[in-house]
Amino acid sequence: MNKAFVIAPVRKSLVVKASQAHAFDVFTSRLDSWWPKGHGIGATPVKQSFIEPRKGGRWYTTHEDGSETVVGHMRVWEPPQRIVFSWEVSADWKPDPSVASEVEIRFIAEGAGTTRVELEHRNFEALGQAGGEKMRGSVDGGWPGLLEIFRKQAEA
Amino acid sequence: MEALRAGPRAVGEIARGMPVSRPAVSQHLKVLKEAGLVTDRAEGTRRVYYLDPKGLAALRAWLDRFWDQALVAFQEEAEKTPDKDKRK
Repeated sequence: MNKAFVIAPVRKSLVVKASQAHAFDVFTSRLDSWWPKGHGIGATPVKQSFIEPRKGGRWYTTHEDGSETVVGHMRVWEPPQRIVFSWEVSADWKPDPSVASEVEIRFIAEGAGTTRVELEHRNFEALGQAGGEKMRGSVDGGWPGLLEIFRKQAEA
Repeated sequence: MEALRAGPRAVGEIARGMPVSRPAVSQHLKVLKEAGLVTDRAEGTRRVYYLDPKGLAALRAWLDRFWDQALVAFQEEAEKTPDKDKRK
């Protein structure tokens, strides 16, 4: 490639009919009540998902085989407005503390009982650098994990 | 995508080896391009497609969909559970 490669952050924004405090509480303390079970990164199916409510706290999942998987750590903990956490998941969708992109979630009160939730998932470049060798290798082989999953979705 | 593993190819070349029409191949390439899995460039008068070697664009596209699904689930849960701070 002869061009500098910068990957735009993933940005999401949605309005939730809930107070700011409630939205924050559901997102963090009650993560397990809504986080899709199919979104796990461990070796076996996810049993429960948790966020430890403090700076430095873990986002982790427990699994049916009794194991735990760390998804990331809280870098900013500002209830009920904002959290920022590392996302320690490699490009082939495996837990990997040596790579960390970053996710910020903002909870913005828009009125009584209405909250705008904004998400930004960024720093994909860090992931590319840290996992560079591994990723280049797997690109040749067709990106076994992630691309296969994606292809199935894209072709469904 | 399999057809592109050997290197860049034009739509017509890809379609020749497939049991589907050329427009169907074009459509499929469009989806793959939007997903960041393949990319294209002009080569003389034709346009060739090749696998995006960076692949990170694919990861980004996948995460984009991933967060959509997660946030929809979050929204449903936040709106259906009792909200003690909600003022009428």
